[in-house]
Amino acid sequence: MKTAKVFRQIGRHLVLLFLACLWLVPILWLVVTSFGVDKGPNLSTFFPAAYTLDHYKAILFPGSDTVSQFPRWFLNTFTIAVFTCIISSMFVLMVAYAMSCMRFKARKPLMNIAIIMNLFPGFLSMIAVYFIMKNLNLTNSMTGMVIVYSAGAGLGYLIAKGFFDTISKSLREAAYLEGANEFTVFWKIIIPLSKPIIVYTVINSFLAPWMDFIFASIMLNSGVSAQKTVALGLFAMVDKVNRNNYFAQFCAGGVIVSIPISVLFIIMQKFYVEGITGGSVKG
Amino acid sequence: MERSKAIKQAAVPAKRPGLVRFFASIGQYIAGVCRDFMEGDLWVKLSALLWGSSCAARGQYVKGALLTVLEAVLAYFIPVVFWPYMSKLNTLGTVQQQRVYNPDTRQNEFNDYDNSFLIMLFGVIGCVLLLIAVVLWLRNIRAARAVEVRAKEGKHVNSFREDLTDCFGVKFHRTLLTLPVLGVACFTIIPLIVMILIAFTNYDRNHLVPAKLFTWVGMGNFELLFNMTADSTFAYAFGRVLAWTMIWAVLATFTCYFGGILLAMFINNKKTRGKKFWRTCFMVAIAVPQFVSLLLVRNFFADAGIVNTLCKNAGLTDWLYSIGAIPTANYIPFLTHPAWARPMIILINIWVGVPYQMLIATGILMNIPNELLESARIDGANAWQSFKSITMPYILFITGPSLVNSIVGNINNFNVIYLLSKDVYTTSDQLMANANANEVDLLVTWLYRLTQDQSNYKMASVIGILVFIVCAILTLLAFNRMIKGDKEENFQ
Repeated sequence: MKTAKVFRQIGRHLVLLFLACLWLVPILWLVVTSFGVDKGPNLSTFFPAAYTLDHYKAILFPGSDTVSQFPRWFLNTFTIAVFTCIISSMFVLMVAYAMSCMRFKARKPLMNIAIIMNLFPGFLSMIAVYFIMKNLNLTNSMTGMVIVYSAGAGLGYLIAKGFFDTISKSLREAAYLEGANEFTVFWKIIIPLSKPIIVYTVINSFLAPWMDFIFASIMLNSGVSAQKTVALGLFAMVDKVNRNNYFAQFCAGGVIVSIPISVLFIIMQKFYVEGITGGSVKG
Repeated sequence: MERSKAIKQAAVPAKRPGLVRFFASIGQYIAGVCRDFMEGDLWVKLSALLWGSSCAARGQYVKGALLTVLEAVLAYFIPVVFWPYMSKLNTLGTVQQQRVYNPDTRQNEFNDYDNSFLIMLFGVIGCVLLLIAVVLWLRNIRAARAVEVRAKEGKHVNSFREDLTDCFGVKFHRTLLTLPVLGVACFTIIPLIVMILIAFTNYDRNHLVPAKLFTWVGMGNFELLFNMTADSTFAYAFGRVLAWTMIWAVLATFTCYFGGILLAMFINNKKTRGKKFWRTCFMVAIAVPQFVSLLLVRNFFADAGIVNTLCKNAGLTDWLYSIGAIPTANYIPFLTHPAWARPMIILINIWVGVPYQMLIATGILMNIPNELLESARIDGANAWQSFKSITMPYILFITGPSLVNSIVGNINNFNVIYLLSKDVYTTSDQLMANANANEVDLLVTWLYRLTQDQSNYKMASVIGILVFIVCAILTLLAFNRMIKGDKEENFQ
């Protein structure tokens, strides 16, 4: 009886170990390739023959390389992300408050429109947006990217609304009795109570430009390396033409980008779960 | 079930269909405006012409001035800027671009040509503005009459300062919503209208603006998608792509969903040691941004990639060839043969998606009221029973709504498919290739490649509309089911 238990205990951990290996092997390959001597993908062995820091040097100090301009991409993406994050978090929180805490005639119709809008594939409209931006001379510019990422942000209000719904109504009513207006309630009561969902919204909108490939590829189509975002630039590194010269640099870039993103993600995931579980009680 | 049917039947006679009700309410509104106009005094009547006049008569000078300025702006922009485009909406332009010799400059110059896309775009914007102007005009008459009545009854009429205070009080929603709604209107709704209209034109590589014109063709593009013709294989490709999209959406969603929950339960089990360590292992996999890990995995499983080398060395490739599972003895076509690529893509998606789901499920599992599980154990339930009747319903209740969203999200999951198949997967099916589709394409990736590689905007927007219809049907079905299975009370 006891030995059977021990065996089951060992078996349980072996299964976990196997799964963990499965999940970590590609990541390990990313790291070892970024330190390996081969410029292209290493095709013969899993671990490289020798290790070097050259690829990190190459990607951090690219000089006038026409393909790799990693520091510029990083800066571009960071700038876009900061502004996107500010604007779209504000939009999301504003819409969520209006929809959750206030009652007005257009509320239900607006919510229905938002649901319908979310059902269209996001980038169907992007083709027409591209022409609008072209007329405004905003393609291949960071301003254009910020507008593309944050203009429609109000549509993603549902999780934040769900969270606001869980904040007790009596709190607000007490404030109204004290003579507070809606703005004061929003700013002094709801916002301070919504830290998890604010952190979630902020980090989520900050991460969007780092992860997005499709919108960037439509809007930033000049092919000039210095104008790209990280996702677009790294993608160009592994296309048919460049792969054999830049694959290791791509891996190095991937490792570098992963560090800040994973830090943010670890912060966010705690709040994410709180937001989701808090936000879905009333749906 | 019985009850809900009865309620529905009871409710039907009282309600008219939505569309009829919609038009009836518009009719009533306009009738109301006419009545207000007839009954109002001279200022109200004048405000139909000069928007701010009634406000000025009641002492609301700033508001009156602002309204009149708004009217002037609309009255200038709609006829002067947008009307030239709106007037050509019926033909989408008739003058094609040409180079004409200009004797003054002694050079060939472009004639004053029509750009069909700009006609469409600015025409739609103009129509939307016109609609807004009409609505504002009608509302203004109503508001003018309402203020007149208040003033006559001796009630208080708001000053401009009070109007401003209202913007942070009872009308705070307007302040909050103006900018977000404007953003959505300009960069989502208007572009969507334009793209939906494109589905009814012949805008493709043979009619590219600005060199060529395109025009209306009615339902022709939709017919292409449902009828095979000699020179179009869209109908053939569409059926296949749609089927794979649905299979993919269901499989991708449910494998990740249940995989994540099972993994979370496995790690959270009392008997597991080092929970934090295991969780971190899986977290590392999502720390790498999705596009990096997908591009990496694509090279990992390439035909001449590292996994193939290892399989070859281990003799796996030869063995698979000997049993006829792969067409060549040189490599395993992980991402290049339909029979291999489709399962591989789903497996890779599990690799990408399960850790996320694990995180969410972990958070939810920790919130399950322990008394529920305790009492189940006392009642003699085994692990499976308590999973089936407590844990699972609880998780489903919390995450059910997001499950629908993630199916819709997976139908539109561009990244996984595009990043894994771009430059790697080429179809050997000539009929698919003619429609620029391949076996692993989802509707959205097909849509993307049609626009970016083929400039086939008309078919792309037809497909976009169909994606919307599919998503809408799914969402409606799911909402109906969820309302039936409302278990909110059980857990509170």
